[in-house]
Amino acid sequence: MTKREVHFTLNGRSVTYEVEPRTTLLRALRHHGVTSVKRGCEEGECGTCTVLLDGVPVKSCTVLALEVEGRSVLTAEGLVGKDGKLHPVQQAFVEEGGIQCGFCTPGMVLTTYALLKKNPDPSEDEIRLALAGNLCRCTGYTGIFRSVKRAAELLKDQA
Amino acid sequence: MLAFELERPRSLQEAISILEKFGNRAMPKAGGTDLLMWMKDRLVTPEVVVDLSLIPDLAGVNFSKDGLRIGAMATCTEVLESAAVEDHFPALRDACLSHSDWLIRNRATVVGNVCSAVPSGDVMPALYCYDATIRIVGPRGERSIPINKFILGPRKKDMIAGEIVTHVFLPLPEGKSSGCYLKLGRRNALDLAQVGVACVAIDGKNGREYRLAYGAVAPTPVRALEAEKALQGIKAPDDALLEKVSALAKEAVKPIADVRAGVEYRLAMVGELTKRAIDTCVERLKEE
Ligand SMILES: Cc1cc2nc3c(=O)[nH]c(=O)nc-3n(C[C@H](O)[C@H](O)[C@H](O)COP(=O)(O)OP(=O)(O)OC[C@H]3O[C@@H](n4cnc5c(N)ncnc54)[C@H](O)[C@@H]3O)c2cc1C
Ligand code: FES
Ligand code: FES
Repeated sequence: MTKREVHFTLNGRSVTYEVEPRTTLLRALRHHGVTSVKRGCEEGECGTCTVLLDGVPVKSCTVLALEVEGRSVLTAEGLVGKDGKLHPVQQAFVEEGGIQCGFCTPGMVLTTYALLKKNPDPSEDEIRLALAGNLCRCTGYTGIFRSVKRAAELLKDQA
Repeated sequence: MLAFELERPRSLQEAISILEKFGNRAMPKAGGTDLLMWMKDRLVTPEVVVDLSLIPDLAGVNFSKDGLRIGAMATCTEVLESAAVEDHFPALRDACLSHSDWLIRNRATVVGNVCSAVPSGDVMPALYCYDATIRIVGPRGERSIPINKFILGPRKKDMIAGEIVTHVFLPLPEGKSSGCYLKLGRRNALDLAQVGVACVAIDGKNGREYRLAYGAVAPTPVRALEAEKALQGIKAPDDALLEKVSALAKEAVKPIADVRAGVEYRLAMVGELTKRAIDTCVERLKEE
């Protein structure tokens, strides 16, 4: 199938990719070097491919690249400050040991970021519900839940 | 995934004419959470995928005094966060919340769940309880059909090439009501139902009325009409009645054994979840 152009905003910058209709957003991003977006199951199950689409967390393996025409995509690369400083959500994961191998981390961080935008002070249950679609094979989740709570504190201090 | 062409029409008319032109070689796509996975596994191999997401008529959830209109592109998240759904259609809210996980719910649509027509589809039992009708447009105009006539069997629905479901409509229950959806899976998130039970209780003009519908325990979702009758008019069913009702519910279903559960287990759970669902509805109506 012939390639088509898709124009969108990636981490605040306008970009144009050439993709086939069947190319998922996950594959398109990775092909263009955005490798924080991880390719896990490609079946919508694991959440390692999470991105924010117009601020809403979705699994990029379930989105066709052509569908993001005119829209805005945020990945973990986009959370890092211009000075290279980690975003408070990322910092919290580092401090609280929410990371072991790191494969799930970009997705976890993005879902956490979206959760805290919507609900700055989530309960334990709300955290679990929000992260139910992001699987981690290493940490056993307790470190991750701690990281989310820490991130909420850091963001509050910042505000 | 095999190669295909993607069409992104901006009007219903355009979508219908593309779908009609390509017939069985084209398929509509809403959230794509089923379609893209089926295409990956080559269970379906459309040459043309018609993305419905840019068609304004298909967006949103709207509530009026007559009832609720759920547009074809309304996601499970949109539906479960709607205040009208929380107030008037709690079984549907529960069902959407039981569906997959937050990220998938941000893409997956309620109408797509119906159109996939898989027996375990989580939103369907609630829609059966609320007497939902499916609104369709196609080359021959518009039509409207009750959900239990629309769903014909596993992955089979009453639709011809060129047709699109525009929305589902749920009439407002006539009287104060409560409802719930209980889903039994092997884990809390990201699992298909082994048994799903929706229950709605309504204090209408003929007294208390109950509706019970089941998913994943027959080729299509089913209502347990005999069980509903046995409960008619009774505000506080006792244990003996609940036993009888759960036996009637088991007669209404026809489960199979598969990787997720065996027949006996599913039947036992139909009985148990029926009692719990009725209890929940009765309690929720008392609280108000
Ligand atoms: C990781 C994962 C977890 C899941 N968990 C659950 C779960 O817990 N419970 C559950 O019930 N399902 C689950 N599913 C299945 C799927 O998400 C749901 O069935 C979903 O609601 C389908 O909606 P969609 O918008 O993605 O449909 P799509 O994939 O876009 O479409 C599904 C089918 O319906 C047709 N269609 C869609 N819209 C229309 C329309 N308007 N008119 C005519 N035909 C149409 C398409 O052609 C296709 O055949 C899961 C899927 C994944 C990938
Ligand atoms: S790679 Fe997308 S959910 Fe696993
Ligand atoms: S840290 Fe290894 S998968 Fe989560």
